[in-house]
Amino acid sequence: MSVLSSQKTSVHSGRFGSSRLFTRLNRQKYLLLMLCPAFLLTAVLCYLPLVGWWLAFTDYHVGDSLFGGDFVGLRQFSRLLFESSDLGYLIRNTLVINGLTIVINITVALVLSVLLRELLWKPGAKFVQTILFFPYFISWVIMYSIVWALFAVNSGAINQLLVSLGVIEKGFNILGSAKYSWGLMIVLNLFKHTGYNCIIFLATISGIPQEQYESASLDGAGRFAKIWYITLPNLIPTASILLIMNSGWIFSNNLEQFFVFTNATNWETMEVLDMYIYKFGLQQLDYPYATAVGILKTLVSIIVLVVVNKTVKKLSDTSVF
Amino acid sequence: MKRKRSVGGILFDILNTLLMLIILVLVLYPFWYVITCSLSTPSQTTGSLLLWPKGFTLESFKTAFETEAVYSSLLISVERSVLGSAGMLLVSGMAAYVLSKTHLIAGRFFRVFIIFTMYFNAGTIPIYLTYQTLGLTNTFWVYIIPMLVVPFNIVLMKNYMESIPPSMEEAVLIDGGNELTAYFRVILPICLPVNAAVILFSALTHWNSLMDTQLYNSMSPHLYTIQYVLYNTVAAQMSQTLEGARSAGSAALVNSQSLKMAFTVITIIPVMCVYPFLQKYFVSGIMIGSVKE
Repeated sequence: MSVLSSQKTSVHSGRFGSSRLFTRLNRQKYLLLMLCPAFLLTAVLCYLPLVGWWLAFTDYHVGDSLFGGDFVGLRQFSRLLFESSDLGYLIRNTLVINGLTIVINITVALVLSVLLRELLWKPGAKFVQTILFFPYFISWVIMYSIVWALFAVNSGAINQLLVSLGVIEKGFNILGSAKYSWGLMIVLNLFKHTGYNCIIFLATISGIPQEQYESASLDGAGRFAKIWYITLPNLIPTASILLIMNSGWIFSNNLEQFFVFTNATNWETMEVLDMYIYKFGLQQLDYPYATAVGILKTLVSIIVLVVVNKTVKKLSDTSVF
Repeated sequence: MKRKRSVGGILFDILNTLLMLIILVLVLYPFWYVITCSLSTPSQTTGSLLLWPKGFTLESFKTAFETEAVYSSLLISVERSVLGSAGMLLVSGMAAYVLSKTHLIAGRFFRVFIIFTMYFNAGTIPIYLTYQTLGLTNTFWVYIIPMLVVPFNIVLMKNYMESIPPSMEEAVLIDGGNELTAYFRVILPICLPVNAAVILFSALTHWNSLMDTQLYNSMSPHLYTIQYVLYNTVAAQMSQTLEGARSAGSAALVNSQSLKMAFTVITIIPVMCVYPFLQKYFVSGIMIGSVKE
């Protein structure tokens, strides 16, 4: 009703531009009032900090007034891009860890969802699904604590077991060695996210029309033929959409995850852009450089996101869904 | 109804069931180990994969709760989870309601303005400096205020509200009531399922949050959250951060494995308690979000 009346008003008073706007504002004053807190908070906490991008073009030192640094142009940006070799290992770590995580997570979840559906005892499948989803809600500190309990070099339970069985001489230094960082991150992400991805795949499976299976049975298709010719092809579009959408975040990391697991012994293979920004900004207090790296990261992420979104739209218009 | 089963089919079923059992063990055992370890006598825990507590004792939990840092940080974590999620529902809920109105003035601008922040932030340092300038650092409010507007939750609630027929609130509006009354009297109660989902999710995000303490409140020990205390206890020895060393005072108290595990269990238990509800509402939440976003 209110929608109708306000539209009517706007049609009739169309000739008097300002008074029409005033009438609409007056009609919607409660709506605007209700939006106010969220709008102001977003403006101040998310958009106001953009002013701080100015720092990246100065040689600001901690202690100066905010706009006290001298303008140095693109000097801070060229430090990362041309003067240091850090960019190479940062990009490598980010792409290897995130790229492999995305591919492996989706593949495992896809296979597991098919297998879950094939379980004969349905409550069992539901139970496995429920348990699998739990780690999704566990913080990275707890993940660290668990890994530490099982794999600390000297006190970790699994390391001690392997040593006492004589399988290895000395415990795997999983938390403190550059060798294991990529594998550790990939396995932990799998542990945390498989349940979530399975839910999406299982929902897709339950959306497959039963007639497809029934008519396949009439044609004499066995169980494996049905999986291969009906279930899997129906899951491929969901998998590709998930794959593409997740790639949109490939340059963004969960800072908490890397903050907890990055240390002095494994940073070469563990440090990603967000950690690097944290290290230079808040530990070495080089604000201008950290801000510049942050700006570059934001710009690249947005480009990737836009490209990915375009791709998804194109695909979903033609073949998917 | 009996199905004719091939040898291959039976073999597959056996292997499949076995695989699921292995997966269950892989997911559950780490948590079970942490629990048994926390219930064991400290001197007996090292070096074995336990199935049951060895020398059952609640000593570690007693020590944990006698540690002043644990007690106060638990309180801070509970406070921020409760206040934070309630505040989020108030602010984001109203915003979602307004943004769901198709006739809103500059509606497209407001929608993009808020939802764009899902994909973009100004960066660690600019945000840090802004919070510092606003006087948020080293206060409890730095936990609450930045998490009042959650674009993802707004999208979830907005989608839900758009599916409510307009006739529901028209009664109030025709009687001369305004949208504020309509929202709180009619819409908010109808949105119970989606409200439950976002409240639980927000409370959990608050509970699990670590970086905001590290970034903004590391100089104020009375504002440490349970996650941060756990981090300092378990992880600080490996950490390259100076902050870790500074708070080594609290870490020195706790060096036995079972005490660390008791800390971990204390931090997990609340999550386990809300998990059944989380699972129920969150699954539908994912579905609404992924279908309509």
